[in-house]
Amino acid sequence: MSLFKTLKNGAAAAASSYKLILLIWVTTLVLTLAVGYPLRSFLNMIFGNSMAVERLNDGFDLGITGDLGKSFGGLIASVSAGTMLIGLVGFFIMTFFAGGLFRRFSLAWGGLKVSDFLRTSAGNFIPFLKIALLLMLIIGAYTFILTGIPIIAGLIVSGSPGQTGNIIYGLFVIWALGLPVWLFVADASRRWIAATGSRKVFRALGAGFRALRMRFWHSYLTVLAVVLINAVFILALMWLAGTSTPEKGITVFLFFVATQALFIIRLFMKAWRYASVCEAVK
Amino acid sequence: MRGILLVFLCLLPITAGGQIVIDKPLSQRLTGYDIDVTLDPVKHTLNGMMNAWWVNHSSKPVGEAMMHMYLNAFSSSQSTFASGGRWSAAGDDGWGWVKISSMKDGMGNDLSGSYGYVSPDDGNVNDKTVLRVVLPEPVAPGDTLVLKIDFVSKLPSPIQRTGYNEDFHFVAQWFPKFGVYETAGMRQREADGWNCHQFHPNSEFYSNHSVYNVSVTLPTEFVTGSGGKLMEETDLGGGLKKVIWRAEDIVDFAWTAWPGYKVVTRKWNNVDITLLTCKMGLSKAENHLDAVVYALEYLAARVGPYPWPHLTFVDPPLSGSGAGGMEYTTLFTTMGGGAVPVFLKMPEMVTVHEFGHAYFMGIMASNEFEEPWLDEGVNSYWEQRIMDHYYGGGYGLVQLPFLKMSDTDQGRLTYISSPSRAIASNDLPSWMYPHGTYSMMSYNKAATWLHTLQGIIGDETMDNVFREYYNRWAFRHPSGRDFISVVNDVVKSEHGDRFGENMNWFFEQVLYGKGECDYRVSGITNYKIRSYSGVVDGDSVTYTRGDRRSDTLYISRISIERLGDIMLPVDILIRFDNGKEVLETWDGKASYRDFEYTGSSKVIWAKLDPLDRIDMDVNRINNSWTLEPDRTAARRMLNKFVLLMQMMISVFTL
Repeated sequence: MSLFKTLKNGAAAAASSYKLILLIWVTTLVLTLAVGYPLRSFLNMIFGNSMAVERLNDGFDLGITGDLGKSFGGLIASVSAGTMLIGLVGFFIMTFFAGGLFRRFSLAWGGLKVSDFLRTSAGNFIPFLKIALLLMLIIGAYTFILTGIPIIAGLIVSGSPGQTGNIIYGLFVIWALGLPVWLFVADASRRWIAATGSRKVFRALGAGFRALRMRFWHSYLTVLAVVLINAVFILALMWLAGTSTPEKGITVFLFFVATQALFIIRLFMKAWRYASVCEAVK
Repeated sequence: MRGILLVFLCLLPITAGGQIVIDKPLSQRLTGYDIDVTLDPVKHTLNGMMNAWWVNHSSKPVGEAMMHMYLNAFSSSQSTFASGGRWSAAGDDGWGWVKISSMKDGMGNDLSGSYGYVSPDDGNVNDKTVLRVVLPEPVAPGDTLVLKIDFVSKLPSPIQRTGYNEDFHFVAQWFPKFGVYETAGMRQREADGWNCHQFHPNSEFYSNHSVYNVSVTLPTEFVTGSGGKLMEETDLGGGLKKVIWRAEDIVDFAWTAWPGYKVVTRKWNNVDITLLTCKMGLSKAENHLDAVVYALEYLAARVGPYPWPHLTFVDPPLSGSGAGGMEYTTLFTTMGGGAVPVFLKMPEMVTVHEFGHAYFMGIMASNEFEEPWLDEGVNSYWEQRIMDHYYGGGYGLVQLPFLKMSDTDQGRLTYISSPSRAIASNDLPSWMYPHGTYSMMSYNKAATWLHTLQGIIGDETMDNVFREYYNRWAFRHPSGRDFISVVNDVVKSEHGDRFGENMNWFFEQVLYGKGECDYRVSGITNYKIRSYSGVVDGDSVTYTRGDRRSDTLYISRISIERLGDIMLPVDILIRFDNGKEVLETWDGKASYRDFEYTGSSKVIWAKLDPLDRIDMDVNRINNSWTLEPDRTAARRMLNKFVLLMQMMISVFTL
């Protein structure tokens, strides 16, 4: 199967799973709103009837933080705690749903009811969690070896990060180009579990590496293409969200709708990676 | 004494009398130094001799001389500078010191047994940073004292303002240097005497404007720079060269030598600007040069001309970062070149700040030890104005589409967020600020109340204050009281008695007082009143109908409170629901004030200090009150937070 066909079939499989993706989106939305709404109320309480909130209209004016006094410390603590909570719960939720998605993409036929999706998500959760943790550990070590050690060594030897700056940039590019390898192994391993029903994590990892070795360039380029497109999309989305400052009530609502629509597309694109890997190892 | 005078006359052509750098003397030139040293880059020592002279400009004979020996601050962990673990040597080779091997006066009298160390500030017997020389005979009024000194200076490591790291050398506070002999009346002093403080962790400047002829012999591979004009660079052979600089009318002379320097130059008007940077800093060289040109341009237009034809500044390498962020008038050091992202203007801020010291302490040579606010605070105030004027549309420090901060707010933030902001007044000597409040008080509180002063008297008057300050005090030694006197005179001439007989009331509160400023709008109430009002008079009731267009009248009340001790005049902008706005002014002296209006429109919001002119106000959140708070920003922030969190969990999970 050609690379293009793999990507095309993957995209089609992801698109046909829209109900599952919408379910994931709703879950993330509920989770983030559950933390975000109290934060918004806290912010409103801090400003009360003050018009100083105008200073937040055109980006966040850091100068206002001193006026907020101790309330600012409370706000930062709440945001930090909320971020950690969402990060942790979100990790489990995405790992959980990945179980259902891989099951969906490893099936020969198209459909998977929502109830089946949830059932297979639950069934695959523990091995998927183990694979996610192992691969994150491996990627962390890979990152440290490729970029952390040279930076530390450069600092020790030259006493200046500038002396090793170009080498570090080069290593970062190598790191980014190597990342699809680990993502492919993670996806292929999970696909193996979803397809076979086995719970053996290390055998799954072995299957992942085997799949990579068998058609390395096809596998690698599949993930690299999807990751690159994802990266560009994410950067564009974050830039758009960061620079937009809707000022009226309706535009704020439209901003919310637009950003959520774009996030749904982002979820489709992540599912596209899963589906493309499943296509590639068929 | 006649002999001393003869020596002075002999020296005159090569020192004070010689106009080499500047057309005519800018200062009285009461002191001067001809120094000839050799740098040993292995031992990090400077070995040489100097002729130093001082003119007794007082009306009385002077029988002693006081000199700074500031490198001795690094000679012991028990010096006033180093004690408390503030500095410790990097091994046996890290200590710094200056030793006099021979001292003679102009007549050739050996003064070896005539000097000793004193500690005028704290009595610390382990501190050897001030030398008292008892003269064989007093220097008569108008006469000149000449001292011929052979000395060895050893640079310290790690670098703290001065010192070395491997082959990087930053040489400051390195030679025996006269204190300032103050006459009665000068800086409100009661009697004549030397003003010569010990070397403190937070202050090191108070000197006469002097003439320097400095000759340094060092290996040829070293690239050098100094606060002087390069007069000559001669290859001596054998891998050595001699560099000769001359500087006129500056308060201190520092220089640097490092083989790794890259030299970038620019010319602004008649000023030759030289930047010595490292390889890493080259990417930011143009930014630094832009910053220094902005500062030159802004201060020349609003304060007074920069009089020297040369200016050198240094962006040291990481290994020499301890030398960064210092000022020696025509030489200064900046920091943080290549590694800082473009949107963060910290490196430019340091450049503007350190250059600004050429004016505030360099030209207006105030006493940093005794009145640090007068150089650091005033200079921070100007740095903030320059940064916010030239960078980022008023947000001169951080400028991103979603995150911003002005340099003025950065200073104010440091002051208002300090829990110790009210524990001391702002007029303390640098070493007397308690609980680590020196920086916050000297830099940030002072800059904040200077912005407040500008808010009260107006931008143009404030600029005129500094123009007059320059006119009166350039190349002299002003005190805080002298500055206040300038403020009073300028404000009086431009505003009459609008702000009272003088502005002392302002300085008594913000400079000599410890209070805080906090005004707030505590609420708005709108009462509907009936169409008819009645008056009971015995058995009869008289009704009257109000003269109005609508059926409803409102009594609107805006309640204002003063929560802090500081009393300043404040404006209050009040808006009614028919779009009408009223600007009220309150002298801010009472603890509260109500503004009341009766009419067909009700008040919908009120803003205290609507143009944010009172930077001293420690809480601006409570400066306004609206009946319909705008929640848009909070909603938008929620939307962004939700998206950011969703992206986080989708990106950082496999």
